[in-house]
Amino acid sequence: MQRKMRGRGVAASWYGIARTATVDRAGAWAELDDGGTAKVVTGVTEIGEGILTVLAQIAAEELGIRPEDVTIGDNDTARSPEAAHAGATRQTYMIGNSVALACREAKARLFAEIAAHWEVDAGTLVAFDGELRAEGTNLAMTMAEAVDLCKRRGVVPVGAGHFAAHGTGLNPEDGSGAPWQAYVFGTQVAEVEVDTVTGEVQVLGLWAAHDVGRVINPRGVEGQIEGGVVQGLGQALMEDYQTANGHPVTHGFAKYILPTALDVPEITSILVEDPDPLSPLGAKGIGEPALVPTAPAIINAIHDAVGVRIRSLPATPEKVLAAIAEKQARAAAAREAAE
Amino acid sequence: MPEMTLDMRVNGRKVTRRADPGQRLLDFLRDELNLTGTKEGCGAGECGTCSVFVDGKLVKSCLMPAAKAQGADIQTVEGLARPGELDVLQKAFHKTGASQCGYCIPGMVMAATSLLREAPEASLDEIKERMGGNICRCTGYTKIIEAVALARDVVTGRASPAVLEPEGVGESYIGHNVRRLDAPSKVTGRLKYAGDMVMPGMLHMAVLRSPHAHAEIVSIDTSEAEAVEGVACVITSADVPGKDGFGVFVHDQPVMARGKVRHVGEAVAAVAAEDVATARRALAKIRVEYRELPGLFDPEDALRPGAPVIHDYAPDNVVKHIPIRKGDVDKGFAEADLILEDEFSTQQVEHAYLEPEAGLAYVDADDVVTVISPSQNITHHRHMLSEIIARPINKVRFIMSPVGGGFGGKEDMIYQGMLALAAMKTDRPVRLVFTREESIIASAKRHPSRVKYRMGLTKDGRITAIRFEMLSDGGAYGMSSEGVMRKAAILSCGPYEIENLQVDTTAVYTNNTPSGAFRTFGGMQAQFATESMMDIAAERLGLDPFEIRRRNMMRAGSLTHTQQRLTSASIDRVLEAAEQASRWEPGAPTMRGPMRGDLGGPGTRAPCTLGARFETPKDSKERVA
Repeated sequence: MQRKMRGRGVAASWYGIARTATVDRAGAWAELDDGGTAKVVTGVTEIGEGILTVLAQIAAEELGIRPEDVTIGDNDTARSPEAAHAGATRQTYMIGNSVALACREAKARLFAEIAAHWEVDAGTLVAFDGELRAEGTNLAMTMAEAVDLCKRRGVVPVGAGHFAAHGTGLNPEDGSGAPWQAYVFGTQVAEVEVDTVTGEVQVLGLWAAHDVGRVINPRGVEGQIEGGVVQGLGQALMEDYQTANGHPVTHGFAKYILPTALDVPEITSILVEDPDPLSPLGAKGIGEPALVPTAPAIINAIHDAVGVRIRSLPATPEKVLAAIAEKQARAAAAREAAE
Repeated sequence: MPEMTLDMRVNGRKVTRRADPGQRLLDFLRDELNLTGTKEGCGAGECGTCSVFVDGKLVKSCLMPAAKAQGADIQTVEGLARPGELDVLQKAFHKTGASQCGYCIPGMVMAATSLLREAPEASLDEIKERMGGNICRCTGYTKIIEAVALARDVVTGRASPAVLEPEGVGESYIGHNVRRLDAPSKVTGRLKYAGDMVMPGMLHMAVLRSPHAHAEIVSIDTSEAEAVEGVACVITSADVPGKDGFGVFVHDQPVMARGKVRHVGEAVAAVAAEDVATARRALAKIRVEYRELPGLFDPEDALRPGAPVIHDYAPDNVVKHIPIRKGDVDKGFAEADLILEDEFSTQQVEHAYLEPEAGLAYVDADDVVTVISPSQNITHHRHMLSEIIARPINKVRFIMSPVGGGFGGKEDMIYQGMLALAAMKTDRPVRLVFTREESIIASAKRHPSRVKYRMGLTKDGRITAIRFEMLSDGGAYGMSSEGVMRKAAILSCGPYEIENLQVDTTAVYTNNTPSGAFRTFGGMQAQFATESMMDIAAERLGLDPFEIRRRNMMRAGSLTHTQQRLTSASIDRVLEAAEQASRWEPGAPTMRGPMRGDLGGPGTRAPCTLGARFETPKDSKERVA
């Protein structure tokens, strides 16, 4: 056997969006503000996934302004409507749709006033990127002017929105039920190189195809996929929290080994859009699903490279070497038996 | 505390302070100068979040005593660009979306700055090597490396500064690469995480943690600790006025150990004092008498008759069992041409968010008990704390501070209760910042799993039946175990339509570090087993791995494992997309690697090799990386 062996593996996956086997819900408030800006208040703060930017994009699109003109209030149980937890791949789906609905209500208030002022049907109004116009006419004004006019007519353009995802509980006997209303699917291919002398596995390439529903921010989705893949790689190859009689023995980063920039494969993300029919935005989610197929794709690739099946994560160099040695011993025994 | 006068230049300005010379340079910068862009991620020089320049050299400031920087010229992330501006690297991070939670980002920007100063022509491999001392848990490094390469190209004139400008919008902001709005505050270190926040009169908390995995608490004597000068209060479970218990599904965990401890690192008591050092000194004076109990350290032992009981309410040590039944598995196995049986296991995994747990609590003028923390679920935390402190729900307020990485690990209310109790007891703001070790031993991990798998297939690769049995170590407290078992069961058999299946997932109590919510919530453990089985089956049947998956995949109209009718299923599309993008060469997974023709092509990198690398010098100066 050559020292460095390469191989490829694939794994598919599926995942549900938002809270499991329950009715998930979230709320938001929106206000078109002076200067053609907007305030959006909802119980959410960035945990790193980019939700504030996503919400600003959604609000900008719905209100016809620019993302940088959107101010998002902090998550505060005493100051903002309930949006519940930052997890379960629910932020874009639950809060994004709540914000879209709140913005639509605020915009409808504004459009009603401007339509009355222009004496046109509100349905002809279109706003984008800070400009408002009535289709089929040459009537136009900036959103800053529109908000000013609306307020001078005595109307503050505010809106509230809420969104629910209707999952059902599972039957306690047979588990039957409809835990989610939106599902996503993913497939990843990993290419690895196994050093048969040291047992070390390097992941050189990873192709990740994920359905995320309608994409709000492609770069943001890629960032989630790349982060998920590298967490999956860590779990596949090196991370191992250990205790001895309940005493943690991996209680620092010197002993708990994490992937670094040198461990990262080239990652190719392929975004597949199967829009969700049950929500205003059509977006679904990617936070958690990105991680699911990575470890099995890597483990299947190790098998392709050196013919050993690792059944227990992580596939540390020690385990890979032991598996190769066992395979060679089996082959030798089989040869001997044949002779 | 001994003091001396420390003189240095920090970000171009002369700084003189009377301060403890033994403190770390990190603390001096953060506490004395309020330069909180320099973060503490591990306190051991392993993660790079605290990187600063000392006389032009990149240094991990958690490893350097402040006195050693006497007279030095220090540059922190705040000194890279003028207020309101970004330098080239910071702009590149903004452009590529290199910051996610942002907690590692100041350190990353500093490491990248050092790289561009020392090796402006660095290759991609050299960039990765030089960034290799900085840990990021969110981004997978890819966009960070892209940002550094982009900045390098601008600095060396290979690319125009225009590449750093935002992309123009077309007809919609949906589907557009809007740059992250929070990035400027993260790349400059301006964003305040909970551990960066201060309030006037603020006390500092330290927590006494259990040295035992399972022990009865015979007595706790806090009198000596309370007598220490500078201590404002000591709290134990006796200070809880309401119903003591929290958890995501079952409220089985007291704010601090009540009557017994169930895992090493469990909070037993806490001290709030004028400074962290005093609080820690006082901890050593709390006398706790324990009587050790037999412990459970393996989930299978937890299920044996006569096993020690961890929680009285669960005499069988079972946190949750989720069954799923569909069709008739006996019939399905009888129809199979091939029956495969195998076992798989996954390990406990640490979230390793770079921001250790931190929080700040106070009681406001309206008697509202307020907790600021990077909690992933302030709505639920508010409900639980209101019961714990026996106050109406509108007298409890949670504010979610920017989360420096969560991944599920910050859903558990493991410290906010202590902060609230201390703030109520002292009527002063109280802050707690975990050390890395504390974060690792006290917070939940990804559930480890053991799966017993039985799969029946026809000769042409159709799955006729699956029996799937998963046992998970939930550790000492319930936390998210119930939900994790539910999600693992629902997703267990993967994106395939299986007519006959029998799935059982069970989490049990042990005296190990608790398991809880972690990105995928049981989904990856279950599907690791299924996706391994799919390839084992494909090998046995001589089928291409994509082909066997297609023969079984869900479609619009399929019934899921829980018998939900799907209106759409994009699995066919993602399979095809991955197959095409990777230029997959079809064939059965029979150790084809040595014969494959699709290896090493576009979308792969060269393997890392150890040792020195010589590069062709661009000018006369040779450089060894």
